[in-house]
Amino acid sequence: MSAVPAAALLAALAFAALLADSIWTVAAIVLVLLVPCLRAPSAHRRLYLASVAISAGSVFLLWPWLQNTGSHPFWHGPIVPVLGELTVTREELWLAGLYALRFAAVGLASAAYVLLLDHDRLLGAASWARRSALSVALATRLVPTLERDAVGLVEALRGRGVEVEGARARARLLSPLLAGSLERGLNLAEAMEARGFGRPGRTRVPTPPWTVVDRLALAGALLIAVGALWL
Amino acid sequence: MALASVVDLSFSYPGADRQALVSVSLEIEPGEFVALLGTSGSGKSTLLRALSGLVPHFHGGRFAGRVVVGGRDTRTSRPADLAGTVATVFQEPEDQVVLTRVLAEVAFGLENLATAPAEIVARATSALCAIGAEHLAERPVAELSGGELQRVCLASALALEPELLLLDEPSSQLDRDAAEALFDHARAHGCAVVVAEQRPELPLAFADRIVFLRDGQIADELPPAWTEQPTPPVARASEGDEVVRLERVSYAYPGGPPVLVDESLSLRRGEVAALVGPNGVGKTTLAKVAAGLIVPGGGRVLRFGSAAYLPQDPGRYLVTETVLAEVALASGEERAWHALEQLDLTAFAMRHPRDLSSGERERLAIATVLAVDPDLLVLDEPTRGVDPERKRELAALLRAQAPSRATLVVTHDRVFAMSVGDRTIALGSEAVLV
Repeated sequence: MSAVPAAALLAALAFAALLADSIWTVAAIVLVLLVPCLRAPSAHRRLYLASVAISAGSVFLLWPWLQNTGSHPFWHGPIVPVLGELTVTREELWLAGLYALRFAAVGLASAAYVLLLDHDRLLGAASWARRSALSVALATRLVPTLERDAVGLVEALRGRGVEVEGARARARLLSPLLAGSLERGLNLAEAMEARGFGRPGRTRVPTPPWTVVDRLALAGALLIAVGALWL
Repeated sequence: MALASVVDLSFSYPGADRQALVSVSLEIEPGEFVALLGTSGSGKSTLLRALSGLVPHFHGGRFAGRVVVGGRDTRTSRPADLAGTVATVFQEPEDQVVLTRVLAEVAFGLENLATAPAEIVARATSALCAIGAEHLAERPVAELSGGELQRVCLASALALEPELLLLDEPSSQLDRDAAEALFDHARAHGCAVVVAEQRPELPLAFADRIVFLRDGQIADELPPAWTEQPTPPVARASEGDEVVRLERVSYAYPGGPPVLVDESLSLRRGEVAALVGPNGVGKTTLAKVAAGLIVPGGGRVLRFGSAAYLPQDPGRYLVTETVLAEVALASGEERAWHALEQLDLTAFAMRHPRDLSSGERERLAIATVLAVDPDLLVLDEPTRGVDPERKRELAALLRAQAPSRATLVVTHDRVFAMSVGDRTIALGSEAVLV
């Protein structure tokens, strides 16, 4: 499948997950999105799937404490000054599950976009917004690049006999990682300018025509997006 | 008429306390191959950037004099306008890749130059063929080795069919054959080439003319250290105690083919061994296994004492705010000062590590592992970005400290290998010599 219909399908599924009110519908969308993510190489997908799981899990755990709705208490907690009695209701749990699944669906759609799509083709198709498309394509490379740099940093420190253990030690790597990424960004910008980026009248590599599958996928994406309004 | 002329060029970077280039004048004829040599921080990269217009347009700073390339004054023509007439391959191949697949990456510059769409793929493919990399066309750039990436960057530059090709240390990650092939391709293309290099052997063999920079100025003569062959140390069998022994070690990265198969190696205290071999043969992997950073899938590793490992491109992996803190991180301040002194870096002790030039960063990284005073010291390409004079000093330092440890140096730099090693271990075409 070409990159553009694939991106449209992913966007439509994420859109549907955000609009759907039924927890079962959103759960089904999450499962559908999980399938392509599992096709990515395990070393690449691990970070994305872990991030999605941790983020969605956090939403599920925190949501009931941020809400005060429902009439079917599931758990009564202590009375906290200012906040009053802490309670968790079934309705709050249900909503927490829905929002966590929505979060997971959007996260998995983004992960599939980063892990599986041909960003060069997407960029080639973006005739009228090439700068924005290029920024998105470069931004999607940030996570794997940072991951590689972090591995290199830890290895370099281990090579000097400095073990990086614990959250605090890992947090200390954020600053050098950011500095390295800014340096890399400047080098890239320089190289792009030297290769003529920003000159007017640019052309693009001809893209292959869409296949039947591509057209069906785009139609499917449209159907999902429109259908989501009634989910 | 000269293709490029640099007239009385002086330049300082914003906030710099000294000039990077001082009254430099130079002419480059069409088709000429110029080797630009010079010590670390002497202004080679700055001069290349001036020829491509990136200095001053991209970097800012104080610019005096004139640079004209292909009849265009770089003060009034932006680098993007000069692209096509000039093409540049920068020092760090990883930092100049824009797209995710090789063919698209090579086509990127052609698209920017408004090449007719029907011609883009043909020219990109032809540039890849010219450097023998057509088999890489559909590969993701993230999966390429450093050497392959370097070739893709060269293809991206050649695809533009420039009149002036600027190469900034293009062979720093390449073995001798690959570097020779790269220079052959650049020369065969017929355009004028200016190549800045720290390993002078190849440029000296290829160049029509040598330009030597020192402290931002063109020097009259090439210092002898750049042309003399080093005197190899007297080879001797070390009688020190064994520090590390690898027995029939095998290793494969997850999901990849075997990188090491039944390799054996033994290093004794007092010896310096140079590990050489072509790109992608597993030198770094073997070095990491020896240093204990990788647990082999098969075989046995016996290590008797502490180990320190300096990775390739260590300038990327600096974590603290000052040079002194960086070295002291694993060893304490007293040893750190001593190591900085040995590497002639005390003047930079309070500077931010990322403010140093690439050669200075490399020396800083070497100081970080020397300060640890390990029983086994493993250095992976420690001379990248380091000029011949500094290489000699580094070789002398490693030789002087050799009695206290076993040292394994992974290098593509034959001259350095010859000047530092008691013995050479060839991986790939030859078996590992124990």
